[in-house]
Amino acid sequence: MTNRLPALAASLLCGVFLLGCAQRVDQLVVLDWAGYELPEFWAPFADAHPDVTVDYSFFAEDAEAYAKLQTGFEADIVHPCSSWWGLYVENDLVQPIDTAKLSNWSGVHAELAQMGSFDGVQYFIPWDWAYESILVRTDKVAEVPDSWADLWNPQYAGHVALWDSGEANFAMTALSLGIDPWTATPEQSAQVQERLVEIKPNLLTYWVDYAEMAQMISSGDLWLASNAWPDAYGLLLDEGVPVEYIQPIEGRLGWVCGYGIAKGAKDVELAHEFLNALLAPESMAFLTNQYYYGAANADSIPLADPYVIELLSLDDPAILKQTIFYQTLTDAQRQFMTSMWDEVKAAP
Amino acid sequence: MSTRSEALLARPAAQLEVRQRITVLLTPPGLWLLLFFVIPLGVMALFSFRAASFGAQRQVFTLEHYQRFLADTSAQRLLWRSLLIALETSLICVVLAFPLAYFLSFRAGPSRLMLLTILVIPSWTSFLLRILAWKVLLGSSGIFNSLLLSLGWIEEAAPILLFSRGAVIITLVYIWVPFVALPIFAGLERINRHLLEAAEDLGSRPWQIFLEVILPLSLPGVLAGFLSVFIPTVGEYVTPLLVGGVDGIMYGNLVQDQFARALNWPLGSVMSLVMMLVVLVLTFGLGRGVKVTDLAGV
Amino acid sequence: MQASRARPLVSFGGLYFGLAAAFLYLPILLLILFSFNDSRTLVFPLREFTTRWYAELLHSPELLRSLGNSLWVGLLSSLVATLLGTMAAIAIVRFRFRLQGLFMAVSTIPLVIPSVVLGVALLLVFAQFGVPLSLLAVGIGHTILNIPYAMLIVAARLAGFSNHLEEAGMDLGLTYWGTLLRVTLPISAPALLAAFLSSFTTSFDEFAVAFFLVGTEATLPVYLYSQLRFPSRLPLVVALTALVMVTSILIVLGTEWLQRRSLSTRRRSA
Repeated sequence: MTNRLPALAASLLCGVFLLGCAQRVDQLVVLDWAGYELPEFWAPFADAHPDVTVDYSFFAEDAEAYAKLQTGFEADIVHPCSSWWGLYVENDLVQPIDTAKLSNWSGVHAELAQMGSFDGVQYFIPWDWAYESILVRTDKVAEVPDSWADLWNPQYAGHVALWDSGEANFAMTALSLGIDPWTATPEQSAQVQERLVEIKPNLLTYWVDYAEMAQMISSGDLWLASNAWPDAYGLLLDEGVPVEYIQPIEGRLGWVCGYGIAKGAKDVELAHEFLNALLAPESMAFLTNQYYYGAANADSIPLADPYVIELLSLDDPAILKQTIFYQTLTDAQRQFMTSMWDEVKAAP
Repeated sequence: MSTRSEALLARPAAQLEVRQRITVLLTPPGLWLLLFFVIPLGVMALFSFRAASFGAQRQVFTLEHYQRFLADTSAQRLLWRSLLIALETSLICVVLAFPLAYFLSFRAGPSRLMLLTILVIPSWTSFLLRILAWKVLLGSSGIFNSLLLSLGWIEEAAPILLFSRGAVIITLVYIWVPFVALPIFAGLERINRHLLEAAEDLGSRPWQIFLEVILPLSLPGVLAGFLSVFIPTVGEYVTPLLVGGVDGIMYGNLVQDQFARALNWPLGSVMSLVMMLVVLVLTFGLGRGVKVTDLAGV
Repeated sequence: MQASRARPLVSFGGLYFGLAAAFLYLPILLLILFSFNDSRTLVFPLREFTTRWYAELLHSPELLRSLGNSLWVGLLSSLVATLLGTMAAIAIVRFRFRLQGLFMAVSTIPLVIPSVVLGVALLLVFAQFGVPLSLLAVGIGHTILNIPYAMLIVAARLAGFSNHLEEAGMDLGLTYWGTLLRVTLPISAPALLAAFLSSFTTSFDEFAVAFFLVGTEATLPVYLYSQLRFPSRLPLVVALTALVMVTSILIVLGTEWLQRRSLSTRRRSA
């Protein structure tokens, strides 16, 4: 009897506030990176709700998504990466996720799940993750590097490219100096900046987008690409280009992005169902096969292409502990890293 | 210049009529610009005094970002460098585009609009892809290297021209030439062909006609072309990233990074306001000397 | 003057034009070539011939939809920009009014402002007034970018071509507005086309403004730019580009052919 009360209350409310009920949503707006809109990623949801259209709004930089939400863009689901999560929570842009409603939650790697939890409340479900490491054109180099610090090695002079990202370069350089990127003191930060300026004579260029970087490696002009992602590695291997994706002694960096439910989501239940569909092992296996990214849900591993799993050691339980994931940044940290990187680039 | 409207101005009734015409002509573009440009611009100008982009700090006003900009010598250096790059680019563009426009307007006959469009079509390809293609062509395994190698002109394949300040200028020229050809072409089209025939009949030589008639008359179009490259190129940021190499960064990259990465909109606003001011002063101030105002017939 | 003089088959100008066109089209030809190459990277030597990228393209509805969106945004925003720019140009060239200098300065500032700033500024203003982010918002942003170009191009055309023709039109009993429509605009047609082409081209490849203003419908550059994050999707993008290029060229050549044909039939019947 008691558990029928909420339903009764709901129907009563419906009668009074007719509008609220009529607004039974038939649309879900997802603020996402382009390329993530493939229906294979949420097939179970489409099966269960054929009447709901899923509309994507794309962004190219985390900052754009954040700015749009901050200025009142009405999305239901958002997909930022880990270094932005804290900012979303702090500014009240997302709402708690009830993981009990997610039947696929049990398989999610605890390390990744932990990153999306703030003060014990789950605000983001981790979804896609990948390494960042040095991609090496093995037939061009005399010696395959084994450390982030090797990017500075003059034997590669003129054939190294750094990613045009302050955050990535700060993290990578800090690691090469034995500094923790996320707790660096101002002195240590200054040290990182100085070290980055020193790398400039070694560089061919900075790389901006992945297609371009993969292109420069396959043409042979670029030997060492810093902070490359595993999809470029897989692609170049497929194309028969001799490349190696190294395991630096300081550890590979790793990014993880995840989905959150926006504060103004029209239908929170529906949003949960969508997240659950995203986490389905089949959806996540498709992600691994399609883009060579790691899947947050370990249950997807048996369903994914064994070649990819093996290539990237995705089934190694220790791998997540060895990977140094980007931590959430404060506004001040991000501004510092961007300005620092601009100063490095502008240094004569 | 417009003798009739000036004559009309003398009579009060006609004056009213002229005012009416001005109102009708100016109201739509004026309102549009006011709503969608002047107001946003004001919002941005206000932002340069805010302490932060979002949150409570947004309501705090400060001069901090101006101070920070004034202390930032590398930003000022980059602004200077961007101005130079823009100047070189637009001069080269005008020199290269003029013969194109001239050919189209005077020699291409009835096909000229078609040929003009043919020039523009490549620009409908994403800029990123065109640059990517050039990198393939100029890279060490590209066509040019293979050609030079097989001719024995070079010993070892290496990227040609890529990743330097020169590459930035060449790329910008490549992108802008069609855009400069457009206004010059439009300007040349207005030259009265009977005037040229008359000059010819009077025994002027072709180069005299070119120097004394065509060139002066084409100046407004040339200036329009020059400005339409120079002004936006100062704020360019994609080209330097893609082909500029290690030291290819321009002022626009700083602005872009503040807006789209650091989300430090106040500092970004300061930077863009400064740039705007410098470019406006240059074009309108210096412009008086070279009669930029001719451009709009004022 | 042109018809009266016999000209060599290949003139200097023609040669120069040909060279310039070759220079502009070289990367395009390369992309078309690679769109049939069975490899996910653009590297010589070429591999086997394939049409699979085109087949995959058909299964990328988002990509095709964004192409359609870009065409609409480009066409409509360029029309508006050309119209408004032309009105402003006529006012500036033909009349003297108070605050003329200010008006000119304001209407050229969009050229000076980095597009990203305009994007953010419009985002803030639209949010304030409750204008939803959408293709309409992107289109408005693009008109702002393009009005100065359109104005410059049309003004350059109007400046100097004396208004005797317009006066003649009015002497023949046309109203002022009738003269504008019947005399001024036809004379300015090449400039209007140039302004439109320039605007369309800018809009079709613009992403700095678009990124901040798109809603749930993406424009092509927005989608492409993000697609380049996935190197494996590059061939699709290349195939789409090749398709757009070939279609555009065919349309232009086709129009030219039709025009010539109608011209020659008219001559014959005359």
